[in-house]
Amino acid sequence: MDYVYTILILIGLFVILASSFDLVIGHCGLISIAHPIFYAIGAYVSAMLAKEGGMPIPLAMLAGGAAAFAASVLVALPSLRVSGDYLLIASIGFQLGLIEFAKHIHSIGGAGGLTNIPPFLVNTYGRVSYVLLVLAIALLTVLFVRWLTRGPYGRMMAAMRDDELAFSMLGRNAIWVKVSIFAIGSGIAGIAGGLYAHYFRFLEPDQFGLLQSSAILTMVVVGGMRTTLGPVIGAIVLQILPQAITFFGLPPSILGPLQGLMFSGLVLVFMFARPQGLLAAPDIWAGRDSKERRDG
Amino acid sequence: MLNATVISQILWTSLATSSYFVLFALAFALVLKVNKVFNFAQAGMMTCGFYAAYVAVRVVGLPGPAGFIAALAGGAAMAFVLERFGFSVLRHRKASPMFVFIFTLVASQFITYAMTMIFGTWPTTIFASMFWPVTLVADVAVSAWDIPAILATVAVLSGLWAFLRFTRYGQFMIAVADNADLAELYGIRKDRVLMVSMLIAGLICGVGMFLYGTRAQVQPAAATELMLFAVAATILGGIGNLWGAALAAVVLGVVQNSSILFIPSAWQGFLLYAFLFFAIVLFPSGFRLPERSKALKRTVAAPVIAADGKGG
Amino acid sequence: MTNRTMTGLSIGRRTALALVLLSATSGLALAQQASLKFGLAMPLTGGQALYGNDQVKAAQWAVDEINKAGGINGKKFEMVVLDTQADPQVGIQAVNRMISVDKTPVFITAWSGVVKAVAPIANDNKIVELSVGANAPDIAKLGDYVYTTFPLADVDIRAVAAYSAKEMGKKKAAVLFINNETGIGSAEVYRDTFTKSGGQVVAYEAYDQKATDFTGPLLKIRASNPEIIHLQGLVSESPQVIAQARQLGITVPITSYSGIYNPKLIEQLGAAAEGVIATSLAPGVEDSPAVKTYVERWVKEVGRPPNGLPYTQYLYDSPYLVAAVFASLDKKGTPITGENFRKEMLTIKTFDLPLTGKVTFADDHTVNKPVYLVEVKGGKWTGKAVVNK
Repeated sequence: MDYVYTILILIGLFVILASSFDLVIGHCGLISIAHPIFYAIGAYVSAMLAKEGGMPIPLAMLAGGAAAFAASVLVALPSLRVSGDYLLIASIGFQLGLIEFAKHIHSIGGAGGLTNIPPFLVNTYGRVSYVLLVLAIALLTVLFVRWLTRGPYGRMMAAMRDDELAFSMLGRNAIWVKVSIFAIGSGIAGIAGGLYAHYFRFLEPDQFGLLQSSAILTMVVVGGMRTTLGPVIGAIVLQILPQAITFFGLPPSILGPLQGLMFSGLVLVFMFARPQGLLAAPDIWAGRDSKERRDG
Repeated sequence: MLNATVISQILWTSLATSSYFVLFALAFALVLKVNKVFNFAQAGMMTCGFYAAYVAVRVVGLPGPAGFIAALAGGAAMAFVLERFGFSVLRHRKASPMFVFIFTLVASQFITYAMTMIFGTWPTTIFASMFWPVTLVADVAVSAWDIPAILATVAVLSGLWAFLRFTRYGQFMIAVADNADLAELYGIRKDRVLMVSMLIAGLICGVGMFLYGTRAQVQPAAATELMLFAVAATILGGIGNLWGAALAAVVLGVVQNSSILFIPSAWQGFLLYAFLFFAIVLFPSGFRLPERSKALKRTVAAPVIAADGKGG
Repeated sequence: MTNRTMTGLSIGRRTALALVLLSATSGLALAQQASLKFGLAMPLTGGQALYGNDQVKAAQWAVDEINKAGGINGKKFEMVVLDTQADPQVGIQAVNRMISVDKTPVFITAWSGVVKAVAPIANDNKIVELSVGANAPDIAKLGDYVYTTFPLADVDIRAVAAYSAKEMGKKKAAVLFINNETGIGSAEVYRDTFTKSGGQVVAYEAYDQKATDFTGPLLKIRASNPEIIHLQGLVSESPQVIAQARQLGITVPITSYSGIYNPKLIEQLGAAAEGVIATSLAPGVEDSPAVKTYVERWVKEVGRPPNGLPYTQYLYDSPYLVAAVFASLDKKGTPITGENFRKEMLTIKTFDLPLTGKVTFADDHTVNKPVYLVEVKGGKWTGKAVVNK
């Protein structure tokens, strides 16, 4: 059963990541693919606080989330003040640079990774309890994103996405909305990081690189951007499919690349045949751009 | 340690090895300038160029020059596929820049996996031997690879310059880069110009990978790392400035290599990101995703002031 | 910390009971399945697959041989192969799958990151993890259920360092290593042993994992004027490092570890490979007729010798070790669980294996083996010395 539990936990974690990423890239329209680095910050901060600082794990996890929140503000504030698109490069630079940096820091395990992270719940209440915890937080995340995007904040984001100029003319502060959404999304990813760290108990800088970025991106794109359930479905489908393939008994030398080929191929098919994803939000990809064209 | 021989050796070798970085940066900057795309799928073009040469030389057994032609063909062929079935389709659909960017990222991975299926993950070189004989010039080791690599890079640079300066298509490319809609109004066939620009980028990638693959081992995932360097150089060199990107690639290569004299060598790799970071912090006037640049200039001005008022 | 201890105390008894029940049922399940199966989690894809695939092939041959010779007391011996991509997270998933779907009481894996990442799973589930090929020294300290059949880094690096200082009479050594876990750890072992053996480390340089040019560190090394260089890198960049060293006029012998011991190195470097010394933790073709036959089989069936020959020898031998324990348990009628497997393996203690000779499990979770030094001479890998500790 451990196997099933581990998959459920991974699904839960990726639901959290995909939903919070959709908040940033879909709902708020911020172009950044550096989501995994905030996941990493949460994981490492929580692991270190619990392991070296002896902090109670739930507190450590929250601190991890807070650290991710703070780091994302530091990245977003300067770059968003320049232009929205600057964020893409700034955040990729931040992501890859921080990973490279972490590889050189011996006290957090360096390139070889951080092991023996203290476990949480599993040894006392069993794995099921951890599954329930992760799934509960995943559910909370989805509901929170839904509440946020349907409420007044959501209307603000939509207005800003559709016409930033008009939005700022109304006296609304677009930068403030963007930075806070980016930070909220990243903070949630940080909490997911803590949840990852205390279950898998091993972290490695390289696992939070561009590959992870595109995995999360794929989930959002395939599931359907800017929808409540899209990222959830994307996360479930893309976690289960690769596991399912391992049961087909294919020759191993093809198996690995085949998985990658299927996923990237799947995204390509979606991008051209069904760009709105499995679940469609109205006018997802073309809307803003065609409007700008008319304006410009 | 800090004597003339060591310094000139480091300068020489890093100049020679920056040849392929210059080419990758050039290809990246060209597509960014003309096609207005952050083409992360360039890694795919590079991988195809390498394996085309590998197949020609190692599998079929053709001589080196044929391998070079194969590398050019491989790079250009992938560029054609990307433009014809990817970018042009997305353009006509008026997909947002973010969507196009995601496409390049995914396409690049797709190509990497496909190459892994075909060629496995063995790191390999274009020629069976990767050892180049050296000649000592005033105590500086100059390998038989260095001079041709530098000459090839200079040839590509001047060729591209002449193309942009003196040919019709070159001028069209500049016109499209400046204002694609306006260029179209003047009767320039935008699609064709963008295709030409992609093909040129593909050819440049082919040259670069041929140089790289004759000196170091390559496996399907290697091109991504090489391309990130090109991305950094492009950002440092100024968006939309081809020669700036090329120059930045040289400077980055030389500084990264000579940094060994001042910092522990393990940190050399980190330097690239440090540069990127400083470029972002110190030259914030830098960069916009094209396509929307006009709209953004307009929209950004107001919020910046607003943010100053409230946040500061 | 306090929080955890408190909850631990208050529900301790109940959990203990639940755990006992759980392990009892899972043990029962294992016994009923009576699977004479073991797991093999290796990188079949990704950057390390060139080794992983050859190692899996070697293990598969061994399993086929064992079955051809009547299996385990007449029962079929099975191997479940899963891909780790040499990536810890993928490894964790693979091992979890192995434990809960295939229910193997023992699994074999390699690559330090993966070995470490899955160690908590092995310990928690009381499933034996056999590390075959990873050599990070701390593998010995991963827990009760983690064993290695492969000598850890300190063994061969120590041998090559001591040999260089004592037998080759080198006084000044330079160390060049890749900045990753194995690189850093092994470089330290080399430095300490070489110094202890009376030598002096005159340069100690790391390079980045993504470096494409090594002129800088090599010049630093050249300036320090060493009599021998120890290179601790990966198969992907090591040939280029050696090529560049030779191009820069560094002609002193270069030692490395088992990683670069493959025929491709000579093809790529030609004359520049002369004087390169690698280690091997298994007897070579010249030392053992069994190995000779084995390599001939590779050439005949695959058309080339295996990548990382010694590693494949260890992998070829590991099913024999597992089969020996299975056979002994099966004969006694003891249920084949991870717990019993571990007990039985430690009781047998010494195994005589076809391609790597005797292996004895020491109490500190390590094994000791003679180290074979090989050198490129006249365009061929030739045996140089055997270092027994």
